[in-house]
Amino acid sequence: MMFQSWLFLPFFLIFFLVYLLVQKTSARNLWLLISSYIFYGWWNPLFLILIGYATVVDYFLAWLMEKGEKRKLWLSLSIINDLGLLAFFKYAGFMTENINALLDRLGSSFSLDMPSILLPVGISFYIFKSVAYMIDCYRGTVTREKNFINYAAFVSFFPLLVAGPIERAANLLGQLRQRRTVAGQDVADGLSLFVVGLFKKVAIADLLSVYVDKVYGVPSEYEAPALMLATFAFAWQIYFDFSGYSDMARGIARMCGFKIMLNFNHPYLATGLRDFWARWHISLSTWFRDYLYIPLGGNRKGRFNTYINMFITMVVSGFWHGAAWTFVIWGALHGLGMGLTREMERSKFYQQKIPKFAKQMFIFVFVCFAWIFFRASTWDDARLIVGRIFTSGLADPKFPLYFLPLILSVWLYQFMYESRLQAILKVSAVRVGLVILMILYLSIFVSSGVQAFIYNQF
Amino acid sequence: MGDAATQQEVIKSRTASSGKDKQEIPFSSNAIRLSLREWAVTAVIVAVLFVWIPRGWQRIESFGPDPKSPRTTNVNHEESSYRIPYELGYDYWLYERYCNDEAAKDKIYVIGDSVIWGQYVRKGQTLPAFLNQLSGKARYANMGVDGSHPVALEGMIRYYSTAIKNKDVVLLLNPLWMSSLKADLQTTKEYRFNHPRLVPQFYPIIPCYAETPSKKISIALEHRIPLFNWSNHIQVAYFENSDIPTWSIEHPYANFLKNITLQIPDPDNKLLHEPMSWIERGLTAQNMEWVDLATSLQWNAFQRLVKVLRQRGNRLFVIVGPFNEYMLLENSRELYRQMKDDIAKWLRQQNITSYIPEPLPSELYADASHPGVEGYQRIAEDLFRQEAFPK
Repeated sequence: MMFQSWLFLPFFLIFFLVYLLVQKTSARNLWLLISSYIFYGWWNPLFLILIGYATVVDYFLAWLMEKGEKRKLWLSLSIINDLGLLAFFKYAGFMTENINALLDRLGSSFSLDMPSILLPVGISFYIFKSVAYMIDCYRGTVTREKNFINYAAFVSFFPLLVAGPIERAANLLGQLRQRRTVAGQDVADGLSLFVVGLFKKVAIADLLSVYVDKVYGVPSEYEAPALMLATFAFAWQIYFDFSGYSDMARGIARMCGFKIMLNFNHPYLATGLRDFWARWHISLSTWFRDYLYIPLGGNRKGRFNTYINMFITMVVSGFWHGAAWTFVIWGALHGLGMGLTREMERSKFYQQKIPKFAKQMFIFVFVCFAWIFFRASTWDDARLIVGRIFTSGLADPKFPLYFLPLILSVWLYQFMYESRLQAILKVSAVRVGLVILMILYLSIFVSSGVQAFIYNQF
Repeated sequence: MGDAATQQEVIKSRTASSGKDKQEIPFSSNAIRLSLREWAVTAVIVAVLFVWIPRGWQRIESFGPDPKSPRTTNVNHEESSYRIPYELGYDYWLYERYCNDEAAKDKIYVIGDSVIWGQYVRKGQTLPAFLNQLSGKARYANMGVDGSHPVALEGMIRYYSTAIKNKDVVLLLNPLWMSSLKADLQTTKEYRFNHPRLVPQFYPIIPCYAETPSKKISIALEHRIPLFNWSNHIQVAYFENSDIPTWSIEHPYANFLKNITLQIPDPDNKLLHEPMSWIERGLTAQNMEWVDLATSLQWNAFQRLVKVLRQRGNRLFVIVGPFNEYMLLENSRELYRQMKDDIAKWLRQQNITSYIPEPLPSELYADASHPGVEGYQRIAEDLFRQEAFPK
């Protein structure tokens, strides 16, 4: 069940009514846990075995760590277990495929059978959440959660379960430990976040996906204008899809009184690649910063090592997104880009002389170029698209004009929000008017079909 | 991992990004944040718009027979022959509007499937059209909708025909819908039947209906929320039964607003099929399974439909058939006649006036359940001779 599906409505209503009844009691987190397992099990009951197993193992290993002896061993086992699960479910097919390709190249007739493994929804997210918790416990930045129900509720917290944000234990567990009543403003805030997220996902992302899927489905049939427009459209699609989901997730959590971290902050207004990654999928980028980049040495071991560490972090980040070389290339492009632009972005000339709009456009174009590799079905498709963008003709892209007002109005809103005109957007009548328009648009123009979130596949 | 420098770096990086030791979590990256009071205002405005928009739309969109069209004899031809345009059969908002309009004119509703609508005849040759001619005035409203089997018809009447109350209603039961497990919607293998958005979404369970729970909830809400139903009308009437985004992919440079002409097309006078008898059409006699009435989904739905209409104070006249018995092999024909008797018995027990037309001459049938022009004419004349028939 997805947040934007009608089925979620009765689920949430029942969950919320009971939640309000038990919110001040010790049953609150138990009810959260039960509901989260129902929510997750709705996708596939088998998924519950995996999340249950990961939860129990980490709970037990954290307990062992707390005892004081062999802490590094328990932590290592936890990480091996968690990442091993991820590797198995997510990358077994990829590894097998590449081993077979290598064997074939070496002239061997032997090949491994391709495994047929169901990828559990959200595994990348809750595994990373668990790993972060274990490392934080090891570092002492978080105290181990003694109450198993609390811990299990933290891991499986349904608003964040299938596509994040990858919330840190310090924030979420801390709130799970407190007992607070849901205030009226929590519900109001949650609804605000949810409606905006729903609009982003259903009204914009799903709309753009129609064109993107058409072009990227058979890129050889399209020329430069269509391929470029589809790439730009994908840039907006993935942003609205994922940030829309994050908003809905945060909104649902907020309605229950939980404050979850911001995951997107107008990334296409970034003036540099570092700025971009400080605005895009913030929970993941900060995860990689804290648990990979900094442990590798961060920027503490000289310039060359800094670039290497950045590159490795971005490549791994790309690989996290999917079991395909195109994701690795996407990550590598960003790593390379960050390395190449790091000094430039720090220079006074870049900061003071280059107009802000020019910087934003430069970064946006670079990010869009990288998205080609993210979205293309195969490496060959990605090369074809890049090649045809620069060499093919100017055939009519048949890009629906209907899409333009929507995208432009949202972009305009973002610009206004980051400018002095923000005050206009805060006027009550404007806010209420926008929400009414969004609700009406969703009710009138949107198909009742439900499309999955892009990040569900990660 | 674990060394003090790394830990310090992590803490420093987190603190640096927030500026505080205990981070204040930003609400959002946009200004859309309403207070509880503002949400209350929003909810009221949205609720009003949800009701008002469809109602206001009716005032600006023209629909229905032109009252100024030429008259043949004493009857306004357009009005007496009007039927919902074929391509708008899935537009239930329009059907509801049609019902409301006809209620204001104190018409007799003639309700049924394509047999009433007139599958093989022009709009002036349907059963209601002939009844109007016999009546000398546009007294009978053709409420037929192609493919509206009893399970769907129940939904149509329940949700979209609330204006039909305290009226005379002629209701047709087409036995063809009980002629097999598939027609009766009892097969377990999923198949796409007519008007899935009208059938009960949750109970009774329809074995061959495999829509997702989410979609079923959406449909159930559409039954009750006027704006959703109206939104569907816009799609069906102006965008080839497609949502606007999908339509715009097929028409990328079209201004979608131009499609909204505010004018529902009149039903055309074209024939959907060549007028010929079932034999000329190449159909042959066959064995039909005829389901058991006790377990028939269609028959049970018809019974509920009758109940709904009567609860609204309507006076019913039920027509069973006409059915082309010549298309049945002997065993099947016996079963059919038994079923017909059971139906007639039930109607008598319910004190419902009914009429089961005698079989027409074979050549007057276009297929298993639809007469041709002359067949409709004869049935209309027979009905008009019935004393109990509403006139």
